[in-house]
Amino acid sequence: MATLSDLKISEVKLSTEESGKWGMVIDQDICTGCQACVAACAMENNLSFVGEEDAGYGRSMHWIRIERFWEGEYPEVKMTPNQPMMCQQCGSAPCEPVCPAFATVHSQAEQLNLQVYNRCVGTRYCANNCPYQVRSFNWRDYERPEPLPNQLNPDVTVRRRGIMEKCTFCIQRIHHAQDQAKAEGREVMDGEFTTACAQACPANAITFGRMDDPKSLVSQLAKRQGGGKHLEELGTLPNVTYFKGE
Amino acid sequence: MSEQFSRRDFLKLAGLGAATTAILTGCGPASRYVKREPYMQMPEYNYNGQSTYYATTCRECAAGCGLIVRTMQGRAIKTEGNANHPLNLGKTCARGQATLHGLYNPDRVTDPIKAGSPTPMGWDTAIQVVADALKNNNPEEIAFLMGMTPDHLFDLVSDLADATGMNAPIRFGALGMFESRVTLSKAAENLFGVAGLPFFDVGGAQVVFSFGANFLETWLSPVSYTRGFAGLREGVTKQRGKLVQFEARMSATGGKADEWIPLRPGTEALVVLAIGRLAAELKGGSMPRAFSGVDVLDAASRSGVKLETLEHLATMFANSTGALAIPGGAALGQSNGLAVAEAVLALNALVDNFGRPGGLYLSALAPNETDDHRPASAKEMQEFVQKMTDGKFKVLFVHGVNPFFELPNSLGFRSASKNVPLLISFSTFPDETAREANYIFPDHHGLESWGYQRVATGADQPVLSGAQPVVSPFYNTRATADVLIAAAQLAGGKFSQALPFKDEVEFLQGKAASLMNEANGSFSAPDILTFMAYFQQHGGWWKTSEGRGIPDAAGVLNRNLSGDAAEFAGEGEFFFVPFVSPTLAEAGANKPWLQELPDPTTTVMWNTWLEMNPKTARDLHIENDDVVRVVSAAGAVELPVYLYPAIRPDTVAMPFGQGHTAYGRYAEGRGINPNDLLGQHFNEAGDLAFAGMKVSIEKTGRKQHLSRLESMIGVYGEGMGEEH
Repeated sequence: MATLSDLKISEVKLSTEESGKWGMVIDQDICTGCQACVAACAMENNLSFVGEEDAGYGRSMHWIRIERFWEGEYPEVKMTPNQPMMCQQCGSAPCEPVCPAFATVHSQAEQLNLQVYNRCVGTRYCANNCPYQVRSFNWRDYERPEPLPNQLNPDVTVRRRGIMEKCTFCIQRIHHAQDQAKAEGREVMDGEFTTACAQACPANAITFGRMDDPKSLVSQLAKRQGGGKHLEELGTLPNVTYFKGE
Repeated sequence: MSEQFSRRDFLKLAGLGAATTAILTGCGPASRYVKREPYMQMPEYNYNGQSTYYATTCRECAAGCGLIVRTMQGRAIKTEGNANHPLNLGKTCARGQATLHGLYNPDRVTDPIKAGSPTPMGWDTAIQVVADALKNNNPEEIAFLMGMTPDHLFDLVSDLADATGMNAPIRFGALGMFESRVTLSKAAENLFGVAGLPFFDVGGAQVVFSFGANFLETWLSPVSYTRGFAGLREGVTKQRGKLVQFEARMSATGGKADEWIPLRPGTEALVVLAIGRLAAELKGGSMPRAFSGVDVLDAASRSGVKLETLEHLATMFANSTGALAIPGGAALGQSNGLAVAEAVLALNALVDNFGRPGGLYLSALAPNETDDHRPASAKEMQEFVQKMTDGKFKVLFVHGVNPFFELPNSLGFRSASKNVPLLISFSTFPDETAREANYIFPDHHGLESWGYQRVATGADQPVLSGAQPVVSPFYNTRATADVLIAAAQLAGGKFSQALPFKDEVEFLQGKAASLMNEANGSFSAPDILTFMAYFQQHGGWWKTSEGRGIPDAAGVLNRNLSGDAAEFAGEGEFFFVPFVSPTLAEAGANKPWLQELPDPTTTVMWNTWLEMNPKTARDLHIENDDVVRVVSAAGAVELPVYLYPAIRPDTVAMPFGQGHTAYGRYAEGRGINPNDLLGQHFNEAGDLAFAGMKVSIEKTGRKQHLSRLESMIGVYGEGMGEEH
C-alpha cells in the first residue's frame, strides 16, 4: 500500500509535468520584415482579414505586427531594425486584472496570458491596458466567402463579433505536444515543436521554447549578452527577449 | 477522374511488401487513383481527429521551395516548409503560407467554359476543342505561352513541340522580368562562357555589396537568400558581416543594410568600375584592364556618390577576406543593364572569390536538366507579340502566366491577341488573360497537382522538387497535362505518337525513370513505382553531392568593361523605379491575407502608392495621400502619394502587384499597375529597362487615403492633429 508520503510525491510530480514557462527570443538583426511570420500566424490561428477600409482604420486583426521606424533624414536615413511585436505573455500582465468577465486570465501551467473567448463581452479594457498594443478586437463578423472556411484550423476557435483576441504562443501546438509526450511517457523535448511564426521565419529570427529549461535553445539564447525586453521597466515581466545586433 | 483503380488495387499492382507499404502511407491522396468521398465518409488514409501531412512544392513563384501541407479530413489547413528540402530547409515566405487562399479561393474557375456561353462545357467537349486546334492547324501556327511553373508541363509541351513541329513553348513571368533574369544569365555567359544563373553565397561572405539585388524580398529565391543573410549577420565562426546596398530607392533589403548608397539611376556601372579601380589600387599589382578606363572623379560627380564614400567602400571591399558583389534588380533594368551586371561580376573576379565559401558560383543545374531553362526576355516577348499581330499564330495556349497583366501595355499584347483566332487559357483563376480567352480549361490548383519543379538557384546541390496532390481537386478542374495528353491522342498522328501516355502520372514516371540509377541521390529505388512513392514522400529528389559550378575567371579582368551611363526614355523630370511587392508580386493579389499584410517598408495594405521624397513633395506642395498623375512616354496613371524618406529626391517608385482588372473580388479594380507606364525600352540583353523611364508628376487635387499599419495616432481624428 502506498504511503501518504509516496502519494504526495506523486502528486507533486504530476503537477510539475504540467507546468512550464514558454518564451521567445527574436533576433532583430536578421529579421527582414518579410511578413512570413504574420502570414503563418494568420493561417494557423484562423485570423480574419478585415479589408482595406477597416485595416486603414486600425482594425486589422494581425496578432504579429512588424514595426519599423525611420531615423535621420535623406540621405542619412535609416530604417530601425525590424521588430516583430506579438503578445509578450507577461508574467504580470496589465490586461488581466481589468477584465470584468475574467476572460483574460493567467495560465499557471504554461505561464501564458489566456483569452477565454466564450467569456469575453468586449469591454476592450484589456486592449486599453496593454502597453504593447497587441490585442485586437472583432468589430464585425468578418466574411469568409465559401470555400475559404475549408482552410480553418479545427484546433483553434473561430472568433466572432465582439471578442478580443491576441497571440497565444500557439497554445494549441503546446497542448498537442504535451499530449503526445504524456502519451509516450516523456517530457516535451526542446525543438519538438515551435510556433507557427518561428516555423515559417526564413531567417530563423524567432526561437521559441521552454524558458525554464536551462538546456533549451531559447533559454540559452535569452541569456546571451545584449538582449532586452520591451517596456520591462513597467514591471510586466515579458517573456519575449529581443536582440538588436550591432 | 479515373476510377480504374482503387487504392488497394494500386498497392497490389505495386507488388510492395509490408515494409514498403508503410512508406506508401505518405503518398495519398493519389487523386486519380482514389475516388473522392464526402466528408462524412472519409477516405481510407484519414482518421477522424488526426492530421495527414503531404510533401509538395510551392508554386507561388518559380523558386521551387518544398512544402509540407497539413490536411484534416481531406481538407488542407496549413502549409509549412519541408525541413528536408535543400532549398528552403523548412522555411517559407508569406506567399507560401497564404497558398491555401488560392486553393480555397472563392473566385476560382470551377469548370471548363467557353466565352459567351452561360453553361460550362463538359471535359470531353473541351478536349475535343484542343484536339481540333492541334489537328486543324499547321504546327507552326500553334504557340504555347507558359509561366515559370511547373517545369514538368513545360517539358511535356517541349516534347510535343519537338515531335510535331509546333513552336517551342515560350516562358515568361513578370517576376523574372523585374529580376532581369535574362541579363544575369547573359552576363555569366559573356564573362564565364557558360550561360546560367550565378549563385552568390551571402551566408559565407563577410562584406556584401548589392547593386539593386532585392534578394531579401523577391529576387530569384528569397527564402534561400534570407537564410544566407542570416548567416552573414550571425556567423558562428566569423564576425558579423556587413551589407551595403546600392539603389535609388531603399528596398527592404536596403533597410537591412549597414550602409545604403542612393546613387543616381543609370550610373551603377560607373560606380562599380570606380570602386573596382580604387580597390585594385589598394590591392597593388597592375591595374586590370576592366577597371582602367574609369575616371573616379567623374564617376563620383555623375553618380552623386562622394569620392570619400567611394574610397571608403573600396577599402572595405579590398580589405575583406570575404567580399562579394551582387548585381540585380533595378540596376540591371536599365539600358546599360548588361554592362552593370558584367562590371559587378568582374568585381568578384578582382577579389577572386569564385567557388569559395562567401563567393560566386554558378547555380547547380537541376537533375534531368540539360540547359538553362531561362524565361523569355521582354524583347523576345516583343517579337512573340509581333508574330501574333502578323497573324502567324492561329492558336495560342496560355498557362501559368497572365500576359495581359504581367507584360507592359506598350508591348501591345492586348491588341495583338485580337489577331489570334483561338486563345485558350488554362488558368485556375479568372485573370485578365482568361477573361479575354475564347476558352478557359482550368488547371488544378498547385496543391491539387502532380508535377515537379527544378530548383534554378539557391540550393548547393541539384534539386528536382516534386509535387503531389495534397487534397482531391475541389472543383471540376483537370490537370493541363492530362488535357494535352488526351487531346493529342484524340488528334492522332504525330501528336498521338508524341504523347503516348495514359495520363500525367505516367508521363512523370517516364521523366523520373532516368534518375532511378543516378549515383549520389537522396534515395534510390529498384523500380519506378517505388521511386515515385519515395519521390512523393520526400517531396522530390536531389543529389547529396555539391552541384554548383565554379566560374572560369580567366580573362574576366582583361576585358574592356563599359561604364557608360544609361539612357532614359521620356521627358519627365523624375526617374521612375518600379519594384515588385514582396507579398503580392504577379499572382498574390487575389489572396486576401496577402492583401492584408503590410508592405515591409511603407506598411501600406490593399492598394498601390507612389513613393516620393518628402522634400520633393514639399517643393511641389504635395502631401501624403494626395492623388497625383504620373505621366510617362508610354502612358499615364493616377495614384496616391506616400511620402517616403528613403528615396532620392529626383526619383519616384511604385510597387508591382496591384492594378488588376480581373482576377477575382480581392484583386479586381484595386490599385495601379506600373506596367502601364513602362515603354518598349530594353537593355543590351533584351531585358526590359523597367527602371529606365522618366516621368512627370501632376497634381489632381484629389485625395485617396491609403490603409497603413504605421502611425495610428490621429487615425480616430480625436484630439491629436497631424503635423504639417
